[in-house]
Amino acid sequence: MTAVTLALVALVILVLGAVGSFKFRPLGFLGALIAILIGLGTCPLYYGIFIFAIALVNLLSLTALQDIIKGVDYSLVGLMALATMYIFTTHDFAMVLVALVLVSVPTYILVMLRAGKANIEVGIKYITFMVLATVMFLIGAVILLYAHAHAPGAAADGFGFIYAVGYVMLVLGLSLEVGVAPLHEWVPDVFTAGDPIPISIIASLAKVVPFVAALWILIPISNAITPSLVLFTAVLAAISMFTGNIGALTAREPARVLAYSTVANMGYVLSCFVVIANHEYVYFAIAGGLLMLFANAVGKIGFFNAIKGEGAYSPFMYILAFSFIGVPPLMGFWGKLYILFSMAKMEYFWLVAIMVINSAISIPYYIRLAGELGVSWRMNLVNLICLIAVIITLVTVLFVPVDWFFKNIALVANSLGVVI
Amino acid sequence: MLIIPLVAVFVAPLLKPREASHLTALAFLLPFFSILYCIFGGCPREILLMRFSPPIGDIYLNLDFIAHAFGLTICLVSAMVALFALPYMEHRFEEMELDKNVEFRRYIFIYNLYAASMLWLVYSGNLALLYVFMELMLISAFLLIYKYGYGNRRWVGLLYLVWCAIAGVLTLAGFVIMAFNNNTLALNAIMAGGKGVGMVAWAFIFGGMIIELPVVGPHIWLPWAHAEAPTPVSALLSPLTVGLAGYVLLRIALIDYSFIEAYRMPILGYAIFSSLYGGFSVFKQTDFKRLLAYSTVSQMGYMLVALTLGPFGLLGVVIQYMSHAFGKSILFSSAGGIIAVHHGLRDINKMGGLHDSIPAISNAAVVGFLNLGGILTVGMLGEFFILRGVVDTFGIKTSSLGVILGVVFMFILSVWYGFYTLRKVFYGKPKSTERLEISRYLYVPLYVIGIISVLLLFPPLSTVLIHGLDMIPGLGLGVGGVVP
Repeated sequence: MTAVTLALVALVILVLGAVGSFKFRPLGFLGALIAILIGLGTCPLYYGIFIFAIALVNLLSLTALQDIIKGVDYSLVGLMALATMYIFTTHDFAMVLVALVLVSVPTYILVMLRAGKANIEVGIKYITFMVLATVMFLIGAVILLYAHAHAPGAAADGFGFIYAVGYVMLVLGLSLEVGVAPLHEWVPDVFTAGDPIPISIIASLAKVVPFVAALWILIPISNAITPSLVLFTAVLAAISMFTGNIGALTAREPARVLAYSTVANMGYVLSCFVVIANHEYVYFAIAGGLLMLFANAVGKIGFFNAIKGEGAYSPFMYILAFSFIGVPPLMGFWGKLYILFSMAKMEYFWLVAIMVINSAISIPYYIRLAGELGVSWRMNLVNLICLIAVIITLVTVLFVPVDWFFKNIALVANSLGVVI
Repeated sequence: MLIIPLVAVFVAPLLKPREASHLTALAFLLPFFSILYCIFGGCPREILLMRFSPPIGDIYLNLDFIAHAFGLTICLVSAMVALFALPYMEHRFEEMELDKNVEFRRYIFIYNLYAASMLWLVYSGNLALLYVFMELMLISAFLLIYKYGYGNRRWVGLLYLVWCAIAGVLTLAGFVIMAFNNNTLALNAIMAGGKGVGMVAWAFIFGGMIIELPVVGPHIWLPWAHAEAPTPVSALLSPLTVGLAGYVLLRIALIDYSFIEAYRMPILGYAIFSSLYGGFSVFKQTDFKRLLAYSTVSQMGYMLVALTLGPFGLLGVVIQYMSHAFGKSILFSSAGGIIAVHHGLRDINKMGGLHDSIPAISNAAVVGFLNLGGILTVGMLGEFFILRGVVDTFGIKTSSLGVILGVVFMFILSVWYGFYTLRKVFYGKPKSTERLEISRYLYVPLYVIGIISVLLLFPPLSTVLIHGLDMIPGLGLGVGGVVP
């Protein structure tokens, strides 16, 4: 079966699960689980296995939330996971944008979830920003492709200007969507006002697709002016790192600290965009960006669940904190390492220095967070979720999975191209 | 045998404190004897662990004589400090009102991870693997300070972590640049490739490692960390950990010496100044552990001086690491013995004449200072090779007199503050002449270290070790290396 067929089968199961959950709630969970298992067939295993694991802990964490759409919430997460898996192999421009929307829209509903009733106030704020972000991203992508179609590889007859406008709009849309400073205003407010469980999904699974979509569009259509334009992205990344880390250092509330940590982490991931114009080394950026996103995802799931459960087992909290800091051989380290590789290759040494400084700045607040949220061992769902998050974080300890992932990403990058 | 300390990380916490300490000591003594066997009988030069895609390259264990010299030191000190720590940490847990048995399990896990990381660091044949163990070492040391330190231990722990993380990431940035220049981080492939390190990468690595070493300026974290850490941790942190920055610089220098050659005089001047500053600062300290911490700044200046002095200087780096590690582990353990026996006593103004009450610890401290001063211990060889390096690099002439005098005064200063401290702490008018009963764990391990440090001065240990080091290109008499 082709990837499209598998994705459609998974979608049908998701819908059936969601409908069935009105009668029997666990059907929603079961449907989502089967769908993401089928979804594994739509993408390579080295990528899909991480998305599957992240989605699984997202699903498990949702069981702790007795919201008003119980059952359907699982299907929404399943839909996000499915789109995240599918985008990795699609080369169809329309499908890339569809995947972006399919990941973005479920978060509009998820953000309002909390026990008992909907959190409308947070929802309105979040949806306003997200709609704007998605629209900017889509318009930017369309303008870029228009410019590329009329003047591929060169900036002729004013198409260079149009290309630059499209690039800036797409990057700003992406920044607003994932929370890159200075377009991060919604992040601290939403992360602190929302329920920690849905916020953990927004901070984890929802972050992958926007970056992949942006890379899938920008890499194949890069041209002579792209190396100049990536400077804009590099500056945004640097601002985001500083804003996020300084904000987190000065914040007291754990959810707010995590919000600013997201801003900083998105800055790290964005910084790997400096290499998009160099196809020979772009696989460093993809490998680094994805590993960073995975590390951010499992870390955020662990910490937000700990907030929800009023603490989690202390060693788990410290391991997740160390991964965020970039301590080797945890996953966060590998993400940062490959991002550093990509920046060094492009001779963005000033950005290397800024990332280095920011890694050091982040240490106190992650340690403080781990200290505040760490408690002694007790057998409960929160610790189970954190245990899975820690296992995912520790997957890279033996080096072999990293090399497996990296080698395959190199192969993917060689064949990268989006059909307009 | 290197795998045994890693196994001990997970097995020791399952045992009671005494058995866990004995197992830890055994887990490091077995590789110690195994290294001795390699030194005398030979063993494979490299062991491949896995092939990693470029630019990381082959991950392998590098079993050369430099690694053996550092490994030998780490194994011996880690084993002996593990034994010393048994009564000390029990005393510390009582002070902190923690459950001894439960807390000892946590402590021994982190301790073993810390010591094993250092051991694996020196045997790492790939800079990526080396960086992994460098960071594991940093994190485990941080956790030990953060959980069991004195004073404002959390603040001190964070101070240590932040400074060392800056050092680590600067070094990583250098490694990343090296990776792209050479398309690998495997030391053997970098050496074979001949592309070298490059000035930018060197600058990053050098900047990182002088924070970790540390020299005067970025040293501000060291007196806090070494003084407020629980003493068994200080007894690893100061003797073993900081000197590993010298190890990293040595490995890089053996690949490409151009950076050191280009900036030899500024680095040498800075290193001598740093050593003298550290040495003179010793006289101003009233806290015994803080005093020893400043002595570390001074001794690390030796290592940086040695790094600038060509092949013999580089050999001096290795020997200086060993002598400082032996001496300082004995001295920090002596300070720990005083703390355990005299209920937290650290103020040297309240000491004086302690030899009468704790002669076993006092005599061990004498051996410790003999190591630092380079008297009748392996430290003597270290000073010999550093001086040989000065003479070989600058020659014996009027223009080199300043350097020679500076280095000689650096050596004299160590002896001077050593005897000053001994007089201030252990001799002079005693506060009490009552001889105290102390646990054998608090002094026997110190004598074992002391005896080995003396044995290393004499054949066959010294001759075999120096001969093996001489065979490494660029080191000592070694030929064919990049160091002119």
